[in-house]
Amino acid sequence: MVTEATIAEAKPVSTAPSPLSEFWGSFRENPGAVAGLIILTIIALLAIFADLIAPYSPYEQYRDAVKLPPAFVEGGRAAFLLGTDALGRDTLSRIIHGARISLFIGLTVVTVSIVVGVVLGLMAAFYRGIADVLIMRTMDLIIAVPGLVTAILIVAVLGPNLTNTIVAVTVVYLPRYVRLVRASALGELGKDYVIAAQVSGVGKLRLMFVTVLPNCLAPLIVQAALGVSEAILEAAALGFLGLGAQPPTPEWGSMLADAREFIRSNPWIVTLPGLAILVTVISINLMGDGLRDALDPKLRRS
Amino acid sequence: MLAFFAKRLALTLPTFLALMFVTFFAIRLVPGDPVEVRVGERGISPERLAQFRHELGLDQPVWKQFLDYVGGILHGDFGTSVVTNEKVLTEFLTLFPATLELGLCAMIFAIIVGVFFGVIAAVNRGSFFDHTLMGLSVAGFSMPIFWWGLLLIMLVAGQWGLTPVSGRIDLIRFYFEPVTGFMLIDSWLSGQKGAFSSALSHLILPTIVLGTVPLATIARMTRSSMLEVLSEDYVRTARAKGLGTLRVIGLHALRNALIPVVTIVGIQIGTIMAGAVLTETIFSWPGVGKWLIEAIGRRDYPALQGGILLISGLVIFVNLLVDLLYGLINPRIRHGN
Repeated sequence: MVTEATIAEAKPVSTAPSPLSEFWGSFRENPGAVAGLIILTIIALLAIFADLIAPYSPYEQYRDAVKLPPAFVEGGRAAFLLGTDALGRDTLSRIIHGARISLFIGLTVVTVSIVVGVVLGLMAAFYRGIADVLIMRTMDLIIAVPGLVTAILIVAVLGPNLTNTIVAVTVVYLPRYVRLVRASALGELGKDYVIAAQVSGVGKLRLMFVTVLPNCLAPLIVQAALGVSEAILEAAALGFLGLGAQPPTPEWGSMLADAREFIRSNPWIVTLPGLAILVTVISINLMGDGLRDALDPKLRRS
Repeated sequence: MLAFFAKRLALTLPTFLALMFVTFFAIRLVPGDPVEVRVGERGISPERLAQFRHELGLDQPVWKQFLDYVGGILHGDFGTSVVTNEKVLTEFLTLFPATLELGLCAMIFAIIVGVFFGVIAAVNRGSFFDHTLMGLSVAGFSMPIFWWGLLLIMLVAGQWGLTPVSGRIDLIRFYFEPVTGFMLIDSWLSGQKGAFSSALSHLILPTIVLGTVPLATIARMTRSSMLEVLSEDYVRTARAKGLGTLRVIGLHALRNALIPVVTIVGIQIGTIMAGAVLTETIFSWPGVGKWLIEAIGRRDYPALQGGILLISGLVIFVNLLVDLLYGLINPRIRHGN
């Protein structure tokens, strides 16, 4: 019960909780999101310090230790914790280095998508007219075609390698960012603070990037988090089809493609790279769900 | 209603045109001369080469080539494969029923299982089952399906020997002329003993693999839309009238909860088509997805160009149909912006 005494004692709070601590308080409530964040942090650390952590080089072939199962299975060797692949390369080292490649792909795709998406989206929203129509119709076209098919076309034209994988996956996911930025910018444009800024003579560029953009960021951040996982999956799919990173690059998808022929004889070679993809993508998705709930209460799931 | 139809069609036609434009010029960016690819490594005399160029229309200006290409497509000519010398459209139509059969089965599987589990999770909200299911749906949503397929082959087909590894039917034991192109129906019609069950057993794993991502999405969507509906007044009224739980949930709540699910099903068609490329590659399923990947490997650019155009065109067309259907069902869409 609230008594008069407690009211009298309560000190007036002069500042609202900082947005960051408010966000963290909300994020922390979601156990899945926290678990995702922890796992993702571990994977990110593995990726950053891959050279130090991985026991061997991902390219070094140990001819006396070909297709070994993991150390904890009968026939495995303690020297190769997760076994070796068909060329005698250490699976653990390749998976750790693969984390670097996959996270690099995911982050690059999302960064480029955000930068290009913000510019195109704001242009469409601010200039309307022909620019709007051109940009948005192009985005509609990309969305209309199944993502993997677009990516296949791009890689087939440009040639299969890591850079072109990133280009292809970026093109596939760009429309979401453009649409998101355009929609939220259009929503902001009619508001008083924008009109006030306009009246006080703020230039168009400043209005776009300094006044309006910060208010469109929340949904963009959520999309970006989920976008990393989608980019990783898409790039791994391309790698699996032989259209992504080329051997001997330790990319998870292409590792799976290499391992396919040993599906009967050496199940471990097939199991582990895929498990790495799954765990990474799940942890990012869990974290993304938490981000969404914390940043955008309107979107909160029931 | 007619205005709505016309508007949607007007939005779709430029998309088709742009698609033709992009595929046409993208393929021309590929390094290497299509004629030399066709001729092979031995080479031929310059006169023959020029004649080849003329036959293929490659000596014409690019804009003329594009117009011819569009004109050809309007007459149903999607080019000719440089590897098999077969019309691209003919090849596509021969293989497409396999993809359609797989896609339909995967979609049906995803809808039935997804809706079922989504409803149970919503009704038992917060229970152990609910939490497990939502956890599994995150996993399903995050699944690299090419790995999932390999894993299932390893376990179900390899270890346990329950299903075949690849193909649509046991080709050594059964042969019959395709009637519908759907192996399930054709094997049934053939009347050969065991043919149907062979076709069915070949279909199980690819269906599960292709259906996994839509299944996870549909289960999630059903759950959240069911939760919303369950708190509505009319559900309480139905309960207050003394109707049984099954009747309230199955008849009153589910019908309305399914409306947003229908939209999701429409959106998943692109996912299914993209997934078919991977699933068909894993299971050696002779459909258009596997064919597309093989066309890249064989540098069969006319097939690639035509295939991408046909697959994308099909997805756009189906999405248009879903849109129109949705407008038909839901007046708010029809009369909205």
